[in-house]
Amino acid sequence: MKKYLCLGCGFSYDEARGLPEHGITPGTPWADIPDDWICPDCGTPKSGFEMVEIPYWSRT
Amino acid sequence: MSVSFVLRAGERGYARLVSTGVNATYVAGHPDGVITRHSSFNFHEYQSGLAGFGSIRVFGDEVFSPGGTGYNMHPHHNFIICAFVLGGALTHVNTIGKVDELRAGDYYVFSAGAGGKHAELNIGQEDTRIIYLWVLPSQLLAPPSYLRGRFDAKANANRFACLIGNEPGALPIGQTLKVTRLVTGRNSTPVYRPSPARGVYAFVVEGEARIGDIILGSGDSMALTGEDRIEIAARSGTDLLLVETAL
Ligand SMILES: [Zn+2]
Repeated sequence: MKKYLCLGCGFSYDEARGLPEHGITPGTPWADIPDDWICPDCGTPKSGFEMVEIPYWSRT
Repeated sequence: MSVSFVLRAGERGYARLVSTGVNATYVAGHPDGVITRHSSFNFHEYQSGLAGFGSIRVFGDEVFSPGGTGYNMHPHHNFIICAFVLGGALTHVNTIGKVDELRAGDYYVFSAGAGGKHAELNIGQEDTRIIYLWVLPSQLLAPPSYLRGRFDAKANANRFACLIGNEPGALPIGQTLKVTRLVTGRNSTPVYRPSPARGVYAFVVEGEARIGDIILGSGDSMALTGEDRIEIAARSGTDLLLVETAL
């Protein structure tokens, strides 16, 4: 399960979490998201996302 | 010396944004207001250049002209957005609850983290010139934060002043990153010593500097890796930013 970051605004997509509020169910691989999908916050195309290996923030 | 790249001022991406048409809601100001943006790395419409360097993804040299011009409130996540005001004044408003007014020498570190919006406006009489630096965070969706600092050019003449990073007097940042500024009042040849295994992106704001056998003028930049000492021969009146990043 990978994470992708929008290089236009920083919005992050996590394959494990999906985006249920935008109709993408948890577990949806990045490759299965249509090529004409755009960042819900800034409109950057899918090709403007970068795969990142950055952990989530934790208090510790 | 290991040079990753040299980027001349005129080779950067260029965008001219106005408050009508596609950017009507994004860009603030009356129809004659203009934002000019020179991007060192790929950003928005500019996608034919360099992708980034280390954790740096955006390095934008921007002018908001005239008063009233800027960016309306818009959302961010994750990126750590640093702004360095070089001229004029900047009004920054964010959803952490901060309304700030920054002038030449002032800078901020806005970590968008789990989500934050900001507006960036020139509400003064002069044009506002700003450098925007966006850095990938070391953790995603952290609580958003805003810190601001001031660079005193007189007190720091001819020496490296650490603006951001893990040093006394500098603003802390949630990333292995250090931003240093050098403003010279005479010809100077200081030596910058990066930590091991870091890269350094050097950008000339004004003036002229020579690193190795490469001469950089205003708006020129270069990136270096694998150096433990970087000698910078800066002419009098040079203003230089150094961004040290993990690779
Ligand atoms: Zn986006």
